[in-house]
Amino acid sequence: MNIARKLSSILPYQNARKSLYRKFRFSATNCDTSAKTQPQVQEEKFDFEDLKVLERVERRKAKISPFMKDVFISIFNRDLLAYPEIINKEEMAALENRIAALEKVFCDTSKTQNDRRDILRQTGMYGAPTNLTNGGLAMNYTESLRYLDVISTDQELGQEISDHWVSLNVLKRGLNENDYQKLINDLTSGEETIKICVREKVPERLLQADFRTTAEMDGKGIWHINGEKICINATGYLLVLCLVEDTRFKAFLVHPGAKGINSEKNFVHFRNTPATPLDEMTEESLSQALAASRLYTATLCRNSLNKSMQACIEYIKPRFFSGRPLSQISTIRAVIGDTLLKLYASESVEYFTAGLLDGYLEPDAELEVAMCRNFIANHAQKQLLKLLAIPGLEMQGQCLELLEEMRLLSLRGENVDNINMYIALNGIHHAGKTMATEIKQIRNPLFHPSFIFKKLISDRHQEKDAPKLTLYLSEHLHPSLKQSAEQLEYCVLRMRYICETLMGRHGQDVAAAFTELTRLAEAATEILAMTAVLARASRSYCIGLRNAELEMKLAACFVDKSKERVQKLLLEVSDGEYLNLDHFRIHFGKKVLDSNSTLVEKPTERVFW
Amino acid sequence: MNVNNILKNIIRSRTANVFFKRWKSSEKELATYDPFLAKPKKNKETYLEVIKMFEERDTRRRGHVEFIYAALSRMKEFGVQKDLEVYKALIDVLPKGKFIPTNIFQAEFLHYPKQQQCAVDLLEQMEDNKVMPDSEMEQMLLNIYGRRGIPLRKFWRMMYWMPKFKNLSPWYLPEKLPTDTLELAKLAIQRITSVDPDTKIDIWQTEEIEASLDKTWVVSAQSRVQQVLLSEQPIDEPLTIKGPFNIYLNDQVVTYFILLGKIRPEYKDDTDLDDVSNIQKPPGIPGVIGRVTLPQVKSTVHEQDDGTIVAVCATGTSSRDSLLSWIRLLESHNNPLLANIPVIFTLIAPPTDVSLFDTQQDVNETKEENVNSTN
Repeated sequence: MNIARKLSSILPYQNARKSLYRKFRFSATNCDTSAKTQPQVQEEKFDFEDLKVLERVERRKAKISPFMKDVFISIFNRDLLAYPEIINKEEMAALENRIAALEKVFCDTSKTQNDRRDILRQTGMYGAPTNLTNGGLAMNYTESLRYLDVISTDQELGQEISDHWVSLNVLKRGLNENDYQKLINDLTSGEETIKICVREKVPERLLQADFRTTAEMDGKGIWHINGEKICINATGYLLVLCLVEDTRFKAFLVHPGAKGINSEKNFVHFRNTPATPLDEMTEESLSQALAASRLYTATLCRNSLNKSMQACIEYIKPRFFSGRPLSQISTIRAVIGDTLLKLYASESVEYFTAGLLDGYLEPDAELEVAMCRNFIANHAQKQLLKLLAIPGLEMQGQCLELLEEMRLLSLRGENVDNINMYIALNGIHHAGKTMATEIKQIRNPLFHPSFIFKKLISDRHQEKDAPKLTLYLSEHLHPSLKQSAEQLEYCVLRMRYICETLMGRHGQDVAAAFTELTRLAEAATEILAMTAVLARASRSYCIGLRNAELEMKLAACFVDKSKERVQKLLLEVSDGEYLNLDHFRIHFGKKVLDSNSTLVEKPTERVFW
Repeated sequence: MNVNNILKNIIRSRTANVFFKRWKSSEKELATYDPFLAKPKKNKETYLEVIKMFEERDTRRRGHVEFIYAALSRMKEFGVQKDLEVYKALIDVLPKGKFIPTNIFQAEFLHYPKQQQCAVDLLEQMEDNKVMPDSEMEQMLLNIYGRRGIPLRKFWRMMYWMPKFKNLSPWYLPEKLPTDTLELAKLAIQRITSVDPDTKIDIWQTEEIEASLDKTWVVSAQSRVQQVLLSEQPIDEPLTIKGPFNIYLNDQVVTYFILLGKIRPEYKDDTDLDDVSNIQKPPGIPGVIGRVTLPQVKSTVHEQDDGTIVAVCATGTSSRDSLLSWIRLLESHNNPLLANIPVIFTLIAPPTDVSLFDTQQDVNETKEENVNSTN
């Protein structure tokens, strides 16, 4: 395979003329494409016929090909370097009003949870995603993130309402019109929220399938659910995912007080519980709708980290060390700065992804959504430990609370490994479709000698870890971000080569190369984060937001660090399991698991005296 | 005959005599009086006593090489062949300082060859018996043969290799094996079932089963996976008991039996590895992982080519009746299916009703008899 790698040009010289011209031009004045990415001021056009229509106006752009999936084959949609702008002026004003109302209650520590619930009801948060005609706010994802930023001051409510929103979206698509209308008033009143029950216990027996909750229809046409689910507070409506006919997934709505529900601690048991089926929904649209919970988890995680940072700052401010304020110690400043960097990056990614979901028709952004969750879950836990090392052993109670909160959030719904696999496998699936013939040739080099030689020549820069930068991303960003743009470009360009290496090495078995896929997923996640950060900073600076110059610095720092991580991860993937020591790690793990002990003798042991 | 001739003759004959005698006396059986034979009780104390007697008898300790050879050959008899202390006592018989070469020629040309060879042989015997020397022994050898002596070099090589060989086996055994056969069988079954760390080892008495004839113990091992595999056995397909097989623990042998069930079909994979155009991807619903249905193919370590091993046992008597009791005991311990499934006994050797324990005692007895007759 490596011979194959050494010897083809897949990228033909279609850009030759253009890139030559790019090299020798001395100004950006005649740059053709950058105009598109400049912040746009749209003129509001009043269509008087629209005024009668109560629903929100469709402003979404035409469908685009999936962004991050394309990055796996080193195709980068440069238009997305213009940070998405979804909300218009009137919507912004309404949004600000509601947020102000929410903030008033949520930021006031003297208010109780009931007060908070009341304000959520008053501002219509419980019915926010439903249509205007149904008394909702027709909230889109970008808006929901803004609301959630405030609501998540109370994590419990934050989790509750985000699940509720996701479920409402599922119900909207899944129920037929009549049933939906019957239920909707009850659901949006906020008396009862909807909980999501998807996850199940890991099987404890060999011949047990990984997913076991089933639903069956009895003679009268009523569906009954049997099984067990993980769900922390199972009251109110429950949205339960079940197996139908052994292989198909279908979601069901269980009404509050239905018979046969038995909940203890984190688990809910269903025994012949009657439920309403969500018939109108295909498995694919179900997964799309439910995946939004990942986006909300990311936001909750980020806000939890933010809260920890604030707690830490509260601790630092009134304290002194060696006669100087604690806040002047540079290591402490560095940790706080680092946290800000992570928060900034995560926030950028989330709103960027929400923009993708809101801004285009038929969005295929599941990968991006998963990456948001992955990014913050990965970084927040590490960062939190560093943050909480500042107060040391003081503030024991609060620290434990914050840690537990973060642990629960980063395991919410699924763990990081599952998401990593989801990201990597989807990416590699997409890459596999485009590169199938090429991989076949690489894996059978002797049948395709001329191809191999071509490949050898075309990949020579990749072999040296110095790909030719041919995407010209910097043209779409503020000129002072040129260096960062090039770093991003490098990472994007490496992706195709790495996917090729991986598939060349494992063929179809690549789905089982878990450790390598995890690295690939992490690298891809970082690339999305870099893109979002650069786009956001560039936008802020160009339109002159407050502290925009700080954003530029944040972006540059983040991209610089991130590029190093990506470079390392991708190099490790291309090195293979022996050089990146995976083979040995796996072997050690196997040994320990097989022997039920730690294997190594104590350092005081001897064989002889 | 001239003077020259006489001189030549004398020199030649003397040197020849000397060398001849030197080499001839290295024959091991030259010991005229064997003090070991006279000892009525053969154990470590009497062995050490003999050595002490030899040391005290003569300050010059004449014939010590012969004595050591004789002592080495008697070790098994006294049951001390695995005892480091005894080897040290033997080494201690050799005089200190006398054999150390004082110039390069002596060092190079095997100073006191017979004495050196004797020590090397002693070390060799230690190695054969897997006795590891210690640093005190090194000190003794150093005091006797000096830094350049062959025995010390042998010692160093032993100290390099023996620790490595000692821990080579992945199935670690305690230094001293238990004499009780039940304990021995437990050790053996533990080692056999180490392929599945989840395996649970039970010790049952056949008395629990009323119909049993042999009243003995059963060491049975079954993991949870094996239980599941057994419960999947179709009722019309009989299980088979195979055995007895032998497993060696050092020099002890334990016989064991296995219970074999049906084989699930081999996992067949005819996908084209080179075709990556449709790599499987997981369902995107957060929280849904893994498979909804399980493939009915071979997947565990217990499923071998000739059958699925669903349980392993060793019984006190290895008799057919004790195995029957084993099946009944398995049935009463979480394997209810065994009540309905026929079990075939395919024992390779005709099962003797002589117990493992008894055979061992027999062997010991015959050995003792032999020893007595030689006395």
